[in-house]
Amino acid sequence: MDARQNNSKGSQPREGNAAQMEGQDLESVIERAQGHDVEALGEIYRRYVRRVFGLCRYLLDSRESAEDATSEVFLKLQHSIESYDGSVPFPRWLLRVAGNQCIDLLRRRKRGRQVFVELEGGAATLEAAGAGPSPLGAVISAEERAQVRDAITRLPENYRVPLVLRYYSELSYDEIAQQLDLRRNYVAALIFRAKRELRRNLADKGN
Amino acid sequence: MECYSEQDVAMFVDGELEADAARRLRDHLATCRRCRQLLDALRAENRVLRESLQELPEEAAIPTEFPRLSPSLAWTDIAVAAVVLALGSIVAGWIDLLSIPEGLQWLSPFNLGGRTNLLFSLTYYFAQGGTTMLADYVAVVGKILLLLLLGGTVLLLGHRWKLRQLGLRLLSLVLVLSLPSFALERRHSEFVTVSANETVDDTLLASGNTVRVEGVINGDLLAFGQSVEVRGTVKGDLVSFAKRIVVSGTVEGNIYNCAGSLDLEGQLGHNIYALTQSLRVDNRSRVGGGIVVGAGDVSLEGEVNRSVTMFVGNADLSGSIGRELTMAGDRLTLTNTARIGGNLTARVHNLKNVQIADGATIVGKRDIEVRTRQSRFARPRFYFYQAVWLAAAMLVGWLGMVLFPSFFQASTQAVGSGWRSFGLGFAVLVGAPVAIFLTAITLIGLPVSLILLATYLPAIYLAKIWVGAFLGHTIVKPAATSRADWLLGLLVGMLILTIVRFIPYLGGFIYFGVVCLGLGAFAWQIYRVSRPAIRT
Repeated sequence: MDARQNNSKGSQPREGNAAQMEGQDLESVIERAQGHDVEALGEIYRRYVRRVFGLCRYLLDSRESAEDATSEVFLKLQHSIESYDGSVPFPRWLLRVAGNQCIDLLRRRKRGRQVFVELEGGAATLEAAGAGPSPLGAVISAEERAQVRDAITRLPENYRVPLVLRYYSELSYDEIAQQLDLRRNYVAALIFRAKRELRRNLADKGN
Repeated sequence: MECYSEQDVAMFVDGELEADAARRLRDHLATCRRCRQLLDALRAENRVLRESLQELPEEAAIPTEFPRLSPSLAWTDIAVAAVVLALGSIVAGWIDLLSIPEGLQWLSPFNLGGRTNLLFSLTYYFAQGGTTMLADYVAVVGKILLLLLLGGTVLLLGHRWKLRQLGLRLLSLVLVLSLPSFALERRHSEFVTVSANETVDDTLLASGNTVRVEGVINGDLLAFGQSVEVRGTVKGDLVSFAKRIVVSGTVEGNIYNCAGSLDLEGQLGHNIYALTQSLRVDNRSRVGGGIVVGAGDVSLEGEVNRSVTMFVGNADLSGSIGRELTMAGDRLTLTNTARIGGNLTARVHNLKNVQIADGATIVGKRDIEVRTRQSRFARPRFYFYQAVWLAAAMLVGWLGMVLFPSFFQASTQAVGSGWRSFGLGFAVLVGAPVAIFLTAITLIGLPVSLILLATYLPAIYLAKIWVGAFLGHTIVKPAATSRADWLLGLLVGMLILTIVRFIPYLGGFIYFGVVCLGLGAFAWQIYRVSRPAIRT
């Protein structure tokens, strides 16, 4: 898939590339979709459904929920696409919408209980840098990638969600903070802890 | 210089460190091997994370088409089922109709007195030309209900396991296979007679302008017609749907009927269960069992062996009742010759309307209660039924959301277009019955008109659900539109609609508006869905 190819080039240029790779006419497709052109909406669906599903799948706990959420995202897109102003690349915008959908869902499931709570001193100092080999940095084979995915899906929700939003949706800390209604520093801390937890889990598995 | 924390370096790698801090860190990296190693490790870590995440934990069963832009599979299948139904019915009806060329006259609204006539004439039509069709419809409707139940279960289960397609295909298949297969011995013509010297050994389904039995029927008699006369003997039950029924002979079983009038002049072995404008039990006649009747006028001149229960406008009793008489209604008159072997229980609105002649005999107790019209709001039953209706609406809404989520959500949204929905809804509300009528009189179009009718009536019901959901959604304003939100909105909206409906005078108008709005949204959605599908 195109997005995967883009990914190898790092985070920032990804969406720009995606736009190029997925055809010169993405802009015109979006424009037509904003005018409720069904074919254009269908084209957008075809191009991005897998990516959106992927995000939903990582954020939610079951395939069914992810599929439902994916449908919701595209259903709503018919109207919400009118509000897309081109200030961010479209895939990124779409993933932000999808992320919001999933986060809403997570929040509602835990009615009355906040999902993402800032703890006192949450962004407190963390241990100093350790330059030892990270099990995360070492793994590369397909099998090991599967292990990483597995470990990610088993992370607690408050670690998993920011991590996925950062490295799958490629959202900035600020955007994540906005989505989760948290302070930026706390998002940084959560992502950092998520990685540490991942390393620990993978190291445990390795031993 | 002191080394940077791992989190700072991680933020730098993520491009999230502020410009000044990033510059200082860059300077530090030039001199610190340890931090450079950390930087490389963190970069590698990010790369692995991204690569891993690009592959999905599992593949989705994602439809290849945009969720709403093409009619959903359910709609396609239902459309197929409807077409099959229609074709099957047309063929079945056509075969029957071929032999009845003059069957149209009854339908002219100009020749007929009123709604009752139309009703019975319609029935006559079915009896005359469309018995098989009617029977088929009844059979098919029964089967559809059963299949819907089964299919619904399959669908609900399948929703999780993606068996939905299979369920619907199965449903369609069974529907197709279960079409016209109603076999019943029958006679039908303008004038159906079982002559005096004739004996029918089995159940007879008779339909015609006049059905007259002078001979003997050993089974049941199922009679449909303008006029049904039993002068001979029916050893089983008489089941009848007719404008006028006269039994001057003998029915040994029960009489079940829905009629304009039922006159019993002969002998009945068991009971009468009747829904009729007028019921008369002649002074020559005898009912071996009891009577349960809902009627405008009841006149009991003969003898009833057991109890009589009636919901009636006007009841006259001059004959005898072996056991209790229980009545609820407007007026009760007992003449001198009247006799009640048990208790008399009457619920009337005004005591003056109960007249009991001095010579009348009532063996048991008299319990005559004047029922003042109590405000319905004062009765717990009212609230119970409102709750039941609300629950039913929620259930229907939920089912709709499970089976046709996009259609239901889109219909809800379409309500928001206000005047468009209202105007369209008003047009449909008024126009559909005309269209149904016009389609019906072309005979061939009859099945189509029945399908239209079968869409029209539920749509009126569903209208309030969409409007309710829209209203609730506007009030609750959830951040997202999941099924649960939709249902919560529906609950709130339906509660409001239910309450508003009972505002005196205004409530009726509001409810009318609600029906128009919902119907309009529905019609608009049907129009949208019926546009050509977009394949992607």
